[in-house]
Amino acid sequence: MFPDPGSLGNKNSSSLMLCSLLSTSELEMKYGTSIDKGLSSARAAEILARDGPNALTPPKATPEIVKFLKQMIGGFSILLWIGAGFSWISFGIHNYKEASRSHQLYLGVVLALVVILTGIFAYYQEAKSTNIMASFSKMIPQVRATVDNSSLTGESEPQSRSCDFTHENPLETRNIAFYSTTCVEGTATGIVINTGDRTIIGRIASLASGVGNEKTPIAIEIEHFVYLVAGVAISIGVLFFIISVSMRYKILDSIIFLIGIIVANVPEGLLATVTVSLSLTAKRMAKKNCLVKNLEAVETLGSTSIICSDKTGTLTQNRMTVAHLWFDNQIYSADTSEDQTTQPFDQSSPTWTALSKIVTLCNRAEFRPGQENLPIMKRVVVGDASETALLKFSEVILGDVMSIRAQNRKVAEIPFNSTNKFQLSIHETDDPQDKRFLLVMKGAPERILERCSTIMINGKEEPLDSEKAEAFQTAYMELGGMGERVLGFCHLYLPENEFPETFQFDTDSMNFPTSNLCFVGLLSMIDPPRSTVPDAVSKCRSAGIKVIMVTGDHPITAKAIAKSVGIISATSETVEDIAKRLNIPVEQVNRREATAAVVNGMELKDMSSEQLDEILRNHTEIVFARTSPQQKLIIVEGCQRQGAVVAVTGDGVNDSPALKKADIGIAMGIAGSDAAKNAADMVLLDDNFASIVTGVEEGRLIFDNLKKTIAYTLTKNIAELCPFLIYIIASIPMPIGTITILFIDLGTDIIPSVALAYEKAESDIMNRRPRNKRRDRLVNQQLAVYSYLQIGIMQSVGAFVTYFTVYAEQGFLPSTLLGVRVNWENNAINDFEDSYGQQWTHYQRMYLQWTGYTAFFVSITIQQVADLIIRKTRRNSIFRQGLFRNKVIWVGIFSQIGIALILTYGLGHVTALNFTPLR
Amino acid sequence: MARGKAKDGDGNWKKFIWNSEKKELLGRTGGSWFKILLFYVIFYGCLAGIFIGTIQVMLLTVSEFEPKYQDRVAPPGLTQVPQVQKTEISFTASDPRSYEPYVRNLDNFLRDYSDEQQTENIVFQDCGDTPTEYKERGPYNDGQGQKKVCKFKREWLDNCSGLNDPTYGYKDGKPCILVKLNRIIGFKPQAPANESLPPEIMAKYNPNLIPVHCVAKREEDADKIGTVEYFGMGGYPGFGLQYYPYYGKLLQPRYLQPLVAVQFTNLTYDVEVRVECRAYGQNIVYSDKDRFQGRFDIKFDIKSS
Repeated sequence: MFPDPGSLGNKNSSSLMLCSLLSTSELEMKYGTSIDKGLSSARAAEILARDGPNALTPPKATPEIVKFLKQMIGGFSILLWIGAGFSWISFGIHNYKEASRSHQLYLGVVLALVVILTGIFAYYQEAKSTNIMASFSKMIPQVRATVDNSSLTGESEPQSRSCDFTHENPLETRNIAFYSTTCVEGTATGIVINTGDRTIIGRIASLASGVGNEKTPIAIEIEHFVYLVAGVAISIGVLFFIISVSMRYKILDSIIFLIGIIVANVPEGLLATVTVSLSLTAKRMAKKNCLVKNLEAVETLGSTSIICSDKTGTLTQNRMTVAHLWFDNQIYSADTSEDQTTQPFDQSSPTWTALSKIVTLCNRAEFRPGQENLPIMKRVVVGDASETALLKFSEVILGDVMSIRAQNRKVAEIPFNSTNKFQLSIHETDDPQDKRFLLVMKGAPERILERCSTIMINGKEEPLDSEKAEAFQTAYMELGGMGERVLGFCHLYLPENEFPETFQFDTDSMNFPTSNLCFVGLLSMIDPPRSTVPDAVSKCRSAGIKVIMVTGDHPITAKAIAKSVGIISATSETVEDIAKRLNIPVEQVNRREATAAVVNGMELKDMSSEQLDEILRNHTEIVFARTSPQQKLIIVEGCQRQGAVVAVTGDGVNDSPALKKADIGIAMGIAGSDAAKNAADMVLLDDNFASIVTGVEEGRLIFDNLKKTIAYTLTKNIAELCPFLIYIIASIPMPIGTITILFIDLGTDIIPSVALAYEKAESDIMNRRPRNKRRDRLVNQQLAVYSYLQIGIMQSVGAFVTYFTVYAEQGFLPSTLLGVRVNWENNAINDFEDSYGQQWTHYQRMYLQWTGYTAFFVSITIQQVADLIIRKTRRNSIFRQGLFRNKVIWVGIFSQIGIALILTYGLGHVTALNFTPLR
Repeated sequence: MARGKAKDGDGNWKKFIWNSEKKELLGRTGGSWFKILLFYVIFYGCLAGIFIGTIQVMLLTVSEFEPKYQDRVAPPGLTQVPQVQKTEISFTASDPRSYEPYVRNLDNFLRDYSDEQQTENIVFQDCGDTPTEYKERGPYNDGQGQKKVCKFKREWLDNCSGLNDPTYGYKDGKPCILVKLNRIIGFKPQAPANESLPPEIMAKYNPNLIPVHCVAKREEDADKIGTVEYFGMGGYPGFGLQYYPYYGKLLQPRYLQPLVAVQFTNLTYDVEVRVECRAYGQNIVYSDKDRFQGRFDIKFDIKSS
């Protein structure tokens, strides 16, 4: 790692530029150091004291206790605390006035317990998901490519460093090395000009943490839902408080009603259920190679409407592969899939034999030993990307390349360099009869062609006339136009008389011919798209998600890849395409006609945000090429201005602001830097774009399923609330107790509502548009009305039928029940008369009342089973969705019934719980 | 509720309530509101219909003469008149206003037991002056019309009948309470087995009697409770079995449940004395949870001035 210079951005770049401009001695002066001796230890200690250690300040973490307290008072908890408080107050007053009314005390304790337990649970779930992340970063081996600036700029080509000042931009100049980058090769001495947070990477890291942590859509939705329910709870509570006070209930009783109404209205178990559902999905996604850091991000992915994807490694395989060949005046295409074992093109021509020999011999790349059992495509190679591609290509076609090379012993070699742009080697031939040396050469096609006088057609050397040169040009343009990197290959058999077996080749004086060679063919290479990507892109399309490619690559390459994966569809054209087709200047083209656009980073630099908005609005298929990672942030912001939920992929340190800014930042697990992984909400373990699409599907599924869960949970609230309202208004004996309600909310209903999270996707899940953040709420009018006013009321009616049946069969016909509340609850009346003239003691009535609670409870539970089956589907019919596909639902149903049985028959004798055995 | 648009700005809420351009009230046109209203009227109408229908069907399964189940009401409770809050009788013998509520309560209760209320022979039947066997009156339905009811003579209650002393002994500091067993249809209390009874009861034992006996709740109060007098049918301190079983409100609308009057003639003044009364019978049980099942306890606090 290099210690590194300073800061980025315009304000500070002047001082930095100064540094890069200064001469060595001036630098020594400025920093009070010497190149040979370094800082004196006293001075070093002084600087350390001033600047602190050379490390990045870790982002401020929220203290655990604060997180925990947040869980304790967030959401509904505060309502429940109020309820508990009221219970204790009323218990206190009761206790003062009369002896034994511990009921209120119990209730308060139970409510407090509920809050604390759910709080602990949610905290635990959150903490667990963070732990997954921590262990993960240790797990992934740090395969930082042997590349220097990639963590900073995302460029994967190694860059040379020298003492020359080459560029005003500190990032571009050659005489500064950066913190966190690695030195691949060579030695150098430098002077530390900045440390820790003042380095470029420190700047970026602080920029990333400066980008506000936006609330995730699901957090907003849940907040909205909590407000909604809390609003309903409080307004109904207060309304009935007023009603009961004006109906001359005692204030204390009215407060108890208020607690009952709040408890009935608040779905206590729901937030815990949501957390569980999210973490279940997170687990499922982790299996599909999407590691979710922040639970809520699971759903964000589902509402994504724009994905800004990297090209290299995400859309492509991140390895050069031979895609096309040109020999005998003909273009052949090669197989570029991930697991190729053969190449299907025609290999009968003698030209191909010659070409393959050059490809094999003129290559310095080698397989690492000991990988014979691995498939060729998976073997590790020592050498640069193009050579690796060529090596693997020839290994696939010819078999054991190393032995071929051994048979054709290399006698001399000139490696590739940027001035001559070719690579040359001279070999003995494998034919013992043939004593000639073979000179093979590869390099930039035009340079190679310059050195050739003949061209091989069908194995025969023919003079290179202008017609053939023209054919070469056409092929070269065509391959180049496909965004591929083209190499030319030529050879020459050195005449035996001039170069006898003992000839000493000297590569410095070049005592051998390097012109008038015989041109054999062209090979073009590309980093091919992953085979799963086109399908994933088309899925995105049908799901209404716009995929934007953002890459540092050349526009032509970018466009070619975009076309091959479907980001730019086959029929759509860019402005330039239209101009070319109509043969008119680009300016005259109606921009609205072009659906696709390829935007160059340089153009983007000069654009105002309005112009960017216009591009994002008017074009459905967009590729940003030659962009710097900083521009990613601009693009993300542009997309967000359109109201889109934006997912961004990134791997470099420089991507971290964009990852933070995005609604969901996706870091690459293999190629990604730690900074990117830290800034991201999600990590793609296999760097594969297709995994994002799976993630989207899971995210949509969880939103759907949460809707189902909430609808399921809200329904019974009405059946829990109505008893209170009718109790207050009609003065009937209390149909259901507060504690019983808690047993429904936190007992029988929990497992079924979690089970809904296991529900399979409905058929249209990837065929509808992404939800609109503003319109498609988690809890909307339809859901609330359907749950509360329709199913909920039906459930209440059902439960009341049970209630009246229980009382009627015990002797209290419905008509007798109305208005009896005061005498019914008076514990001095022990000869209360029923419809038949029988007399009841107070305890007998209470016992009957608890039987009523239990019956009401069982009735709601049974109806919730039916509700669960209704809620399985939103759009599909139940038969299409299948009753048995989600087995967990059945676990839920049986658990529900089981818990109800245990409560009624097992705990029927615990007075505090108010359950009685039913017949 | 807002259909998205109304949330655009806070200033729009007025428009949301009444949008004069589109004639929308709360985001919907009149027609739309009408349709919603109509839907809910029909929907809830049907629900109400189903609810009432189900309840009616349920009521068909329930007999009007006897309840389907009685497991929650039996065994019967034992209660006292006057009925008092917190089961405490507290008064000053010299101050009529302090015991007036109790007296009125007793008066009201005993009104049905007056002789003039029990004259109709078509309803009432003389069941004798001594406890006898159960009086079975046939099946629990109105096939034979209403069932007859045993008379209960108020004078049996003697000092506590209110006939001689309209204050039921309260003015002398000798309060009376009436003890009754809760009515339960078809319930036949069984006379207790001899050996289990307190010796005081054995003195007036009768095989067809459910005896009632009151003692101090706490041992240490035993000397404060003084003499306890019992007045019941024919002088027996209990309930005669001929009053059982009870046939219910419809068949015996004027049923008189047997009473035992208990008079505390020598209670200690100015202290709280807790008294527990029990009815004894083989199928009369007591429960820790229900303090009124087969017994009750009552507190006396008589102030001397």
